[in-house]
Amino acid sequence: MTQPIVDIRNLSHIYMQGTPLEHRALDDVTLQVAEGECMAVIGHTGSGKSTLIQHLNGLIRPQSGTVIINGLDVSQPKVDIKSLRRQVGLVFQNPEDQLFEKLVGDDVAYGPFKMGLPLEEVRRRVHWAMELVGLSFQEMKDRPTFALSGGQKRKVALAGVLALQPKVLVLDEPTAGLDPLSRKELLERIRHLNREENLTVIFVSHNMEEVAQLADRVYVMANGKAVCDGSPRQIFGNEELLRQHHIGTPESVDILYRLRTEGYSINPESYLPEEAACEILKILKR
Amino acid sequence: MSAEFELTRNITIGQYLPTGSIIHRLDPRFKLAAFVILILAIAVCNTYIGNIFAIIMCVWLFQISKIPIHYGISGINPAIPFIIILAILQLLFYGGIANGGAVYFEYGFIKITSESIRLVLVSAMRFVEVIFLSSVLTLSTSTTELTHGMERLLGPLEKIKFPVHAFALIITIAIRFVPTFAMEMEKMMKAQASRGADFGTGEWWRIVQRTKDMFPIIIPLFNVALARAEDLILAMEARCYIPGAARTRFAHYKAAGKDYVAIVLSVVISAVMLGIPW
Repeated sequence: MTQPIVDIRNLSHIYMQGTPLEHRALDDVTLQVAEGECMAVIGHTGSGKSTLIQHLNGLIRPQSGTVIINGLDVSQPKVDIKSLRRQVGLVFQNPEDQLFEKLVGDDVAYGPFKMGLPLEEVRRRVHWAMELVGLSFQEMKDRPTFALSGGQKRKVALAGVLALQPKVLVLDEPTAGLDPLSRKELLERIRHLNREENLTVIFVSHNMEEVAQLADRVYVMANGKAVCDGSPRQIFGNEELLRQHHIGTPESVDILYRLRTEGYSINPESYLPEEAACEILKILKR
Repeated sequence: MSAEFELTRNITIGQYLPTGSIIHRLDPRFKLAAFVILILAIAVCNTYIGNIFAIIMCVWLFQISKIPIHYGISGINPAIPFIIILAILQLLFYGGIANGGAVYFEYGFIKITSESIRLVLVSAMRFVEVIFLSSVLTLSTSTTELTHGMERLLGPLEKIKFPVHAFALIITIAIRFVPTFAMEMEKMMKAQASRGADFGTGEWWRIVQRTKDMFPIIIPLFNVALARAEDLILAMEARCYIPGAARTRFAHYKAAGKDYVAIVLSVVISAVMLGIPW
């Protein structure tokens, strides 16, 4: 196996250490992500997902354990944090809140300008990033940010991070609060980034349909610990595991399990909607 | 370094430490009144012994409210520069203005007398006492109780058309949103830092640059604040809030023996502090 691009070992984190409000958010988490992989991090609220992903670009430094991103050791106090943040683009929940420039193009250009790139290069990157998220550069760059719809604003925020040309893209609930159409479109964009632009994608989600559609690998967290790690086929195909850790399932998997309890023989590993449909057809044809 | 963005940790306003002590259980109206009496007494008391007595009383208050004293001490830290500057000014200039007391040192207009030294020491002690007292008060009283207490104490002002209720509401909302905005700001700083922003790393004399560095946080924060304000208005109106309308109350306070004892005790302590002649 090649060197993983994200290598987290025995990471623990305690919030408000030394106060009565002390809270252990991460407990001995180990995680490797290979380059080009698309990984979903799932788990209930308060399971430590957000804390974990904030370690990826050094917003939180490891208290114990190591985080190595593409050869950069985040626990070293002298690590080049700016270079790290260029390699790992972190998109927060509701990123549309973070827009601050008057014009779309200027906002996307903020990151590249902060990197000290020449104007031509900044322009090229803004163009590239905006087209990647599906915003026409010509049409949108001079639009005022406040006049955009929620979905468009989110795309602008995503473009603002992509303009840094990161190797790893980390997204915290990228589709939360979007309408179904924008949601679908954004998911397609993310898939495109992962498959065509070869970005390593790590995303947090509560939406299991999304996880099933997008992820190569699912990492399940509970109470600051990693409870399972495997392909969506392994995770969604294992009813016991799902029960044990209270993991939600995509609609398609739900139907299959319900059919199985009704006494039909199905292959529970058919987690994608198309595969589930084939399973159901098989039963109908019998 | 790892606490780079942990803003919420440093905010003590509205921090409440429920230990369930007798101080916590006092009727907020009486508690507030008792603390006001004590703070007024401290403001007037200018004797050494009186202030030492007040400090002992503060420590005692921490003890019976079961709040670790380091909470109070950490409240002093941010005030230290003020205390020092104040002390220097008083030491250098007070002796020249006020007559009396033995002169220890004189050079030009600088005159250090026993009176100016007394002032320096007494005001430093007063600072500490007031910080201790307000720490005990806020740590032992939830913000809701605090504003209820305040509203009731200010109640008589309604006769002169002072909008007591609106005032209390403003204070409640302001205090309530301090931690919320701190969290929003933390999130915003992290989001912009992820895009390559840096805060407070420029040289301090490049004020314009450092101000510009704050725009990516301040502007979205204003946006969020306005959006939240509108949400709050809607939520309040949806629950039939009408400004100035007669309102009943969820929390009813009934004074018990311990509340009267608290008032009497604070009056007695104040009297002792002010009565001590040195």
